[in-house]
Amino acid sequence: MGTPPQSLMAATVDRRAVLATLATGGATVTGGCMGRLRTIAGWESASQISLEIKTLPADADPYAIRIARQLALWLTEAGIDTTVTPMDGEELLRQVLLRNEYDLFVTRIPDRFRSPETLYSLLHSRYSESPGWQNPFGYTNLDVDDQLESQRRVTGDTRWRAVSRLQQTVARTQPFTVIAFPDDIRAARTNNYANWREVDMRSPFGYLRLSNDTGRDRETGSTTATPGPELRVVSTDHRPTENLNPLSVEFRRDGLVTGLLYDSLGFERTSESIEPWLAASWSFETSVEGIYATVRLRDDLTWHDGTAITADDVAFTYPFLADTSMGSIDTPGSDEDRDSPVPAPRFQGPVSLVETVRATGPRTVEFDFVDCTRRIARRAFTVPVLPKHVWRERTGSASVGGIEVGSATEALVTTNIPPVGSGALKFEEHTAGDKLVLEQYEDHFLSAATEESLPAGFAGKPTYERLSVNVAGSDTTAVEMVRRDEADVTGTAVGAETVPRIGRASDLELLVRRSESPFLVGYNTRRPPLTNPRFRNTIARLIDQSHLTQEAFEGYAAPAVSPLAATRWLPEDLEWTGESPVAPFLGTDGELDIDRVRDAFRDAGYQYNDDKLVETN
Amino acid sequence: MALFDIAVQILVVIAVANCVATLVFVGPDRIRAGRRYLRDNVVATWPSLVALVLFLVANSIIRDAGVDLSWLIGLNITGYIYAIEGQFVDFLQSMATPPVTAYFSAIYIYGYIFLLTFPVIAYALHDDSRPLRIVVLTYILNYGIGLVCYVVFIAYGPRNLLPAVESILYTNWPQSQLLTSTINSNTNAFPSLHASLSASVVLIAYRFRAVYPRWTPIATFLAISVAVSTMYLGIHWATDVLFGVPLGVFAAVGAVRIATPERQGWFWRLRSRFSETGYRRNH
Repeated sequence: MGTPPQSLMAATVDRRAVLATLATGGATVTGGCMGRLRTIAGWESASQISLEIKTLPADADPYAIRIARQLALWLTEAGIDTTVTPMDGEELLRQVLLRNEYDLFVTRIPDRFRSPETLYSLLHSRYSESPGWQNPFGYTNLDVDDQLESQRRVTGDTRWRAVSRLQQTVARTQPFTVIAFPDDIRAARTNNYANWREVDMRSPFGYLRLSNDTGRDRETGSTTATPGPELRVVSTDHRPTENLNPLSVEFRRDGLVTGLLYDSLGFERTSESIEPWLAASWSFETSVEGIYATVRLRDDLTWHDGTAITADDVAFTYPFLADTSMGSIDTPGSDEDRDSPVPAPRFQGPVSLVETVRATGPRTVEFDFVDCTRRIARRAFTVPVLPKHVWRERTGSASVGGIEVGSATEALVTTNIPPVGSGALKFEEHTAGDKLVLEQYEDHFLSAATEESLPAGFAGKPTYERLSVNVAGSDTTAVEMVRRDEADVTGTAVGAETVPRIGRASDLELLVRRSESPFLVGYNTRRPPLTNPRFRNTIARLIDQSHLTQEAFEGYAAPAVSPLAATRWLPEDLEWTGESPVAPFLGTDGELDIDRVRDAFRDAGYQYNDDKLVETN
Repeated sequence: MALFDIAVQILVVIAVANCVATLVFVGPDRIRAGRRYLRDNVVATWPSLVALVLFLVANSIIRDAGVDLSWLIGLNITGYIYAIEGQFVDFLQSMATPPVTAYFSAIYIYGYIFLLTFPVIAYALHDDSRPLRIVVLTYILNYGIGLVCYVVFIAYGPRNLLPAVESILYTNWPQSQLLTSTINSNTNAFPSLHASLSASVVLIAYRFRAVYPRWTPIATFLAISVAVSTMYLGIHWATDVLFGVPLGVFAAVGAVRIATPERQGWFWRLRSRFSETGYRRNH
């Protein structure tokens, strides 16, 4: 963006003077005067930059609103007209991810940043027009695209260098500003389950591994925990009680409940190891054309409605997620049968790794991958497998009362209740807004399989017969329900202000674990002035992550610059050193130095007019 | 269940409060005499009473649809309200002390419910059915207009926007949120129905002050406490209260107009235009 001429203010004043003269009617309107007016009108007038921050209300997320409010104070001090608009989680995701109607948003990202591959769908420009968590920022940077592509193809030091460069470019151009990685705080009842600390409560697989066996007590043989028939989870998120569609991005906080209902071929055990789950085994081969894999499904798998799970379902799932219309929706106005694909707003990263899938037998599937390494290719196995007999009926246009509305397919808008899944838990009942009950699925391989065929770390079927999700109005209420023995655990992480409450209660365990999903400020890079990377970079310099870590997170978070800060992929020059190494705060201890702020914006090509940051439009 | 526990607890407290209040404000003599009027009053008021009950039941059934509709067509005004009044609620909370918090928490739940239920009982024992009808009509008008506002405007209360504002009620008494979140959505802060219904009750108490003279000052005191409590507890903005009070006044005046036999004002002029005969017969 070019620097507006210094005479801009003068030009505005001059035009006002001209208009005033005309308005008084005292001027002789000559041809020369008109010409001058035209010349002046060619210069655009300057108006104050205004930004709206969309985020969640305190009931849904105590941290997000604090970050948003503090950011609004900083932006206002910098001369930007700022409003904060809190909204329901579902509505926030709808406006940000599906309609791109936002300037800035503050929320926690659902992805767990364990592998650089996670950034592929978040930042690749091929997704800038895709709905969902696929590049919601509209960010387009060809260097970033190249690095995202190359980290898929190479290994070792070459990959490390590509990932480093990728993070450096992203940090400099700021499609989003990482605030901090929060600690996930949970309250759990110690008298029901004992291994809360060993399992990962952010993953469906953690819920399946809950037991009264701590490992510690095995030698002494003593354990005080006795699991009840029902695992009672209290959640501040009402959405799973209303919608169980794994494709509905606006209803999914982290996909935990749908992850319990729908199994995938493999599961992510550690940061970069994906192991067979629904698959009995897989083998990779490399040829001149690329890599392909043969996946063998476990024997005797069935969907929750009793239908057999076959290779056909797997072969259906991948093309279906890439285009939920399966070519059935024609582009309006075109003569030929040209299709406009309607991709699912989730899972596009893993799905994009797959070139073709073929069922070569009732339980054998062959995958052809795009140009990538085996390690990357295995990530394709983390998407949920969907029953073909249910979802192929949902490829038509979505309609309300028989009238087709919008461009979505039925698959994207259905509530999918009751869901026909394949997971170890199946749907039993729900009360929208209040409660969801899942029950053990007896025919799941965890119940039926012999011990040696189970994935390592899983002892068999879940120790509880039912899992219920109860909705609470806020974190405090959720913790209180656990304290009063009306729930066993807070399923959603709760805010730091509940820590003393959990600590005071004798039979509650305080579970604190550093999360891999950061809070971030996302910028809509489609809208000026946020199109300008220098403007975004200057906004990033108005954010004091250290201050926010203390004030908003009460210390229960780690500030960071890169989304991969919690991994081994973080280059040294992006490590947090008390302040951001790429966008250091323009002030000290949360207090902005207004002179430095103004200089920074002026350097970026913007101007101040009566303490207001102005842009020409 | 916790929700059941708290509902029972509230029911008991409100029942006791109403019994005591009836003894104090109505008095034993009029209670005895009032039993005669009770039947007549209920008979005379039953269409309004049924309407109110139907209205509340319908409201609880369609509430979720209302919230969906609100997100579809409503205007999110939370940011504008903050721009108007800023940190007022924060300022109010800076004066918080535990006894004050206990007082306002009790007022917000018990005081409010008592303020709404007692006039119904008291006027049901009165020898004229008009005050009872007016009270019931006022409640219908308040809820009706309030619900339209809730669809048109999306507004979160200060506790949901301002980090400094504490959700005092729910922090100190978490179970109460089970109740309030069952009754209403946290996006329905504008206008404050607590404020509007309280204002209506005070106006009606004043208009019929001859019936229960000692009730009027008590109702006024309770109503002011309720209005302040909503802000003190971080649930409503001052703006919500400032818009709630005129709504309550409008509802009370409207109810009096509808229930008054003189039948003057725009409502009856409009009505008489459509049913000449009915109007003439009454005059």
